[in-house]
Amino acid sequence: MFHKMTNSNKVAVTVVASMMAFAPGVAAASPLSNDPIRLVIPFGPGGGSDITARVLSATAPEFCGPRIDVVSMSGAAGLEAVNFVRNAEPNGHTLLVTDYGPIVTSGFVDDVDWSHDDWQPVMNFTEWLPTVYTRPDHPIQTIDDWVTAATEEPATITFGHASPLGLVHLPLILFESVTGLENIHVPTSGGGETRSLIMGGHIDLGMTLPPSIASEVAAGELTALGIFSEERSPVLPDTPTFREAGYDVVLPAWLMIFATSDVPSETVEHLQDCFMEALASPTAVAMSDRVNAGIEPLNAADSTRLYQNTVENIGNILRDIGEID
Amino acid sequence: MLESFIPALMLAFSPEVILYVAIGVFMGVTLGAIPGLSGDMAIAILLPIVFFLEPAAALGLLTGIYKGGMFGGSISAISFGVPGTPGSAATAIDGYQAKLKGTPNKALMTALYSSVIGDSTSDLVLIFLALPLAIVALTFGPVEFFALYAFSLLLISALTKGKVAKGVAMAALGVLLAMIGRDPMGGTLRLTFGIPELAGGLALIPVLVGIFAVSELIIQLSKAWMERAERIMDDTRQRAQSLLGDYDASKDKLTFSEFRFTLKATWIGTTMGTLIGALPGAGSSLAAFISYGLAQRFSRKGDEFGKGSLEGVAAAEAGNSATSGSTLIPLFAFGIPGSATAALFGAAFILMGMTPGPRLIYDHTEVIYALFLILIYANFINLFLSQFLLPFYSKIAMIQSRILLPIVCVLAILGTFAAGNSVIDVWVLLFAGFLGVVLRMFNFPLAPLILGFIVAPGAERALRQSLLIGRGDWMHLLSSPIAIGLYTVAAIMILTFTLVLRDKK
Repeated sequence: MFHKMTNSNKVAVTVVASMMAFAPGVAAASPLSNDPIRLVIPFGPGGGSDITARVLSATAPEFCGPRIDVVSMSGAAGLEAVNFVRNAEPNGHTLLVTDYGPIVTSGFVDDVDWSHDDWQPVMNFTEWLPTVYTRPDHPIQTIDDWVTAATEEPATITFGHASPLGLVHLPLILFESVTGLENIHVPTSGGGETRSLIMGGHIDLGMTLPPSIASEVAAGELTALGIFSEERSPVLPDTPTFREAGYDVVLPAWLMIFATSDVPSETVEHLQDCFMEALASPTAVAMSDRVNAGIEPLNAADSTRLYQNTVENIGNILRDIGEID
Repeated sequence: MLESFIPALMLAFSPEVILYVAIGVFMGVTLGAIPGLSGDMAIAILLPIVFFLEPAAALGLLTGIYKGGMFGGSISAISFGVPGTPGSAATAIDGYQAKLKGTPNKALMTALYSSVIGDSTSDLVLIFLALPLAIVALTFGPVEFFALYAFSLLLISALTKGKVAKGVAMAALGVLLAMIGRDPMGGTLRLTFGIPELAGGLALIPVLVGIFAVSELIIQLSKAWMERAERIMDDTRQRAQSLLGDYDASKDKLTFSEFRFTLKATWIGTTMGTLIGALPGAGSSLAAFISYGLAQRFSRKGDEFGKGSLEGVAAAEAGNSATSGSTLIPLFAFGIPGSATAALFGAAFILMGMTPGPRLIYDHTEVIYALFLILIYANFINLFLSQFLLPFYSKIAMIQSRILLPIVCVLAILGTFAAGNSVIDVWVLLFAGFLGVVLRMFNFPLAPLILGFIVAPGAERALRQSLLIGRGDWMHLLSSPIAIGLYTVAAIMILTFTLVLRDKK
């Protein structure tokens, strides 16, 4: 089956290529060669990043020219993927698709030979909004309940949050440093474990991203307390933001495509254009809806602003807790 | 609900779906038989296909690969002593010994039958008992998990006959190797000695394949060199040996009485595999090792274990395969992916626009019923196809090592690289191979090392989570009846088998 698929991809590429031969305007403008584009993800297959990247790899060849492969490299806690892209030829054919963890946080806390300025965003897929949740029969059901309970008995509430300093842990740290509250932080192996610990009654609260709990919240099997974002999540319309509750803590995560900064700007521009065009196509929109990816693309300039903003925010939090100086 | 059964039946047994299941099983068995490649990997590569196929066909293909891969892993475990997948590591212990005794086909057939029995039972449990079992599984928190991990480590390492100290030492070494990398709680680097590539720790596949396979290759290779040197020195040896040596296939058939004798071990494996499979995060290799350990304890011929016992093969393989249905239980009941495979099936559901969780069966009754039917009949396709393929595979196993070893070696390196797209993994593979040679030379058992390596991350997380939740009080580890029960059983077993049974000799 694998062979059949690559073959049909090859056919598609050939068809597209021959079509472009008749449209010299498009073909001549492309700074890309016929080699495939590799979207390298620093995570294992099957997760949200993988699924989102695959929407692009399924739709963009028509617009960009070459075939697009998603390559998963989760080695060295994601740094292997980052280094692989860093050391690849800067021709726009090897790109990194990542959230801020392996690039912003690692750039601060890990011993890496690159800085945040060595990367340029090509495009942003989506913003992920960290959400605090619990089971429906738990005494804490709202942000106020949580704050009251944590004020009355500090450091008694257990909070599950996947890997330390990750996307669903840093917002908790920021929230605690703004409010002065204390909780017991319980690292877990990921969203699945956090959730089974909460549902089994082993811990009190946890943090995750909205799509993974949306249907349970709607069915009343989980309660979402609040979201660390400026606006409410479209998939959790009844869940307030922490800002609405009076706590100005906003720390959304994103999923961005990066090129190294030595990739020529016309190549990045070309990639940005054809990726955005592909994601706006009816096929991509339908796919994105089906997989609940919530893709709302941002162009390179907006993504760069978002990236720099995140670098500054995360830097402040890490300095604040003494993780870096 | 029943009115959707007929359309589901039509869907599941449409020729297209049956064909996809068969293709999947064939791919799974073949890939699983290659050291380092597993059904999970094939599923990951093929995930995007669900964009293009009908849901039932796509699920059929993935199910076929999964089940085929589960059994395929035992083919290379038995034939070359190389577990093709992590779950078949326990199968390698007795399976490879059986092959060395010249009966690879008996071991392979035992593995196939016990695998199919375990798998089918587990599927039935998934279909009929998913919800009650899932609720039990949720009561397993950090405290209970730590007890389970401690139980499994004790069972395997401390009870290795006559080598208790060596067994415990190996389990400890496995735990130590697993601690390389980032501290899961604080994020600090441990035991990486300034090598940034070690930050993510050692991956399971290269360690597993290296310890079992590469070390075996090195030993065989040096034996082959020795023999050659001897041959040159005295010319009495026969020059021309047939390709298959003196393997007699007609004597290597599994008899019915042998099959019946392994049934008890198969049922122990089936029960343990189904239960452990339903626990989120425990995994098939843990199930296989615990089943193997228990079957040895309860066997009338426990002494045969480790020397090519068919019961050992049956217990390990049934334990491994019986996780396959029940690992989907947390996914179906709560949307929690309990294993890598369950996560991949979850991703496949999401790609098809179906949200995993309790609503799944109500919102997509037809497809899920069809999947249930596929889960069951894929086992029979596996049985049929593998029975057809096994005679060829067991002949391959008996091909002379000077031809076979280089091929296996290349496949092991390729498979390891493909699993993580990482060159570092290949170095880890080679390093683990040399470590394996040294350990074999000093007669250390390898199984406890692998089990220690596999359970250490989970055990550490469970222990430290328990202590965090219990605010540093070690008594918190005894706060759960399930945990106390597990510790008690472990203590009783150790006392029984060290004090009572040792005297029998």
